[in-house]
Amino acid sequence: MDVKANHFITTAQIALSNPQLQATLAVCTRNGLQGRIAGVFEFGREHGEALRRQAAEAKRRALRNLPELLEQAEARMQANGMRVLWAADAAEARQYVIDLVRQHGARHVTKSKSTLTEEIGLNPALEQIGVEVLETDLGAYIVQLAGEAPSHIVGPALHMSKDDIRDLFIRKLQMPFTDRAEEMTRFVREHLRRAFLQADLGICGGNFIVAETGSLCLSTNEGNGRMVTTLPRVLVALVGIEKVVETLADFATLSQMLARSNSGQSMTVYTQMIHGARGAGEDDGPEEVYVILVDNGRSRIYATDYAEVLSCIRCGACLSACPVYASTGGHAYGWIYSGPIGAVLTPLLVGLDNAAPLPFASSLCGRCKEVCPVDIDLPRMLLDLRRDLVQQGHSSALWSLGLRLWAGVSRSQRLFGWGRRLVRWGMRLIPQRLPGPWRAWTRHRALPPPPDTSFHALWRAREAARRHEQ
Amino acid sequence: MSSRSAILGRLRAARRPFAEVPPVAERRPVVPLDETSPVELMAHFVSAAVKLGCTVHVFDDDADALAHLLALLEPESAVLAWDPAYIPLPGLSDKLMEKGIRVVRGDPEVRIGITGVDAGLAGTGSLVLCSGVGKPRLASLLPPLHVAVVTADQLYPGLEAWLAAISAGGPDRPGTTSSISVISGPSRTGDIGNISVRGVHGPGEVHVLLIRS
Repeated sequence: MDVKANHFITTAQIALSNPQLQATLAVCTRNGLQGRIAGVFEFGREHGEALRRQAAEAKRRALRNLPELLEQAEARMQANGMRVLWAADAAEARQYVIDLVRQHGARHVTKSKSTLTEEIGLNPALEQIGVEVLETDLGAYIVQLAGEAPSHIVGPALHMSKDDIRDLFIRKLQMPFTDRAEEMTRFVREHLRRAFLQADLGICGGNFIVAETGSLCLSTNEGNGRMVTTLPRVLVALVGIEKVVETLADFATLSQMLARSNSGQSMTVYTQMIHGARGAGEDDGPEEVYVILVDNGRSRIYATDYAEVLSCIRCGACLSACPVYASTGGHAYGWIYSGPIGAVLTPLLVGLDNAAPLPFASSLCGRCKEVCPVDIDLPRMLLDLRRDLVQQGHSSALWSLGLRLWAGVSRSQRLFGWGRRLVRWGMRLIPQRLPGPWRAWTRHRALPPPPDTSFHALWRAREAARRHEQ
Repeated sequence: MSSRSAILGRLRAARRPFAEVPPVAERRPVVPLDETSPVELMAHFVSAAVKLGCTVHVFDDDADALAHLLALLEPESAVLAWDPAYIPLPGLSDKLMEKGIRVVRGDPEVRIGITGVDAGLAGTGSLVLCSGVGKPRLASLLPPLHVAVVTADQLYPGLEAWLAAISAGGPDRPGTTSSISVISGPSRTGDIGNISVRGVHGPGEVHVLLIRS
């Protein structure tokens, strides 16, 4: 997937002038926020906040011991009968999958939704070698059918209305006319059945890997994740190296907080723990299971002050909470990760040069940190990225000159005093009604009257009075 | 150098983040249940499962539960099912044979799948199903209706309690089971216009037959 994050201002403007997208965003961000409050605070605010701390500490302990936990997870997964592969970057991860597809002679691949596979551009690579790749999560299937990119890490088709999807199904799948989401869903169920049964290789992601038991854990709702991990002969899971956690107890906290923070569910409908291929005598399940541990920039981030971003469990709560995301939607961010987490993660993964506007796509209101189940300090990182941008020369000459002038003036008491007087005069000269294009602004707004005296003068008078009293 | 050692090398060379995080002092279960007497667990389990959208029937003994199940199976000629040894309904196998209902494998046309469970989670109304010989995963996945038979002594307060219990040992210890599915209600989606719809790829209906004894 191409990174188009540098066009943020333009793409955001397009989103802002799309009334239907605005209506859709208003509904889904409101639902997301309300669901999250009901889920996380079901047993009171104190308990909910304690769980956020518990979840944050679980991820932080895991990150602190990341290299050791990865080795432990690898050993346990191998002992359970899974093959573990390590991919340094996107190209290597894609090549592993291509090799596995060829090695097993797979022609039909079904996929359960995975943001990581979007990040590494897996589908186009597989299609290029002539393999049919079918997304089976309803939202992911819809955007694949429409030839679009996902706009949300949890709900890929959140930007589309029910009518858009109905028209798409009628056009592309010859669906008999219906206006009901239930019937549209049933139609897709029947349509994808054959694909599930026919597939010879399944691809999934992973929400967590438990180091102590070598469990590959998936949180899903529709049942396609279970189909993909049960029916095909070969299962390939692609998991970011930051997904490993220490213990089953940590997994229990995190998987439930993931569901509660995303939609308010107490658990996702299907929480799966996979430990390997089907055992001797079992009726179903894959015959071979591969886990590809993908780095693709994560170990580089690990060594920086942004390591915290690797705690993210991809619940999407910060998207719903963000006033910028709620206005622009996901596509404006120009890559697979959007909202506050995208504004931080995208520049870190693809380079600041390729995503320079994103750290500014925030009002720094702090709501993203407040709703994060693992308490990631996104506002802090957004500010730090802005600083990095300036240090790398990403600031306009005029802006830099202005700031330098300001710094010079405010460091000198005399210059500052002159400037102050100049502004006070200037304010008297500005008429209450501005002419021309500025009229609209002053029609309902009045400038404050210039103050009679300055703060410095008041302070001096106050100090003098105090000395006089002594 | 292999990617494995390159990745691990980079991680090891970095200054470790979060040095200040303390070791675990106390851990709270996500769903706090104060009362965990068998009756309380049943009450919690039933209300949580109903809230998820399950249809729950409570029976005094297995004979009542079996009669209910057979009535449900009246129109069927085939079902997907676990081996009757893992479903706590003595006599199920004979009754199915008597009624001419075949137990088939992986047939996508079958309407009903019957399973036992390895545990029920009271706090969230979830069913825990471990894969194994005689416990096909597709029985709880392919048919539009999944019927799960649960006995009261299989209930745990929540995911934390069940994971702790199996970690202590026993045949279902993670790692010895190829796949564990924790099922919380009917399959669902909100992907079309943010409208919640039940029954996408998994069962749209989940019936829980809970036996008191």
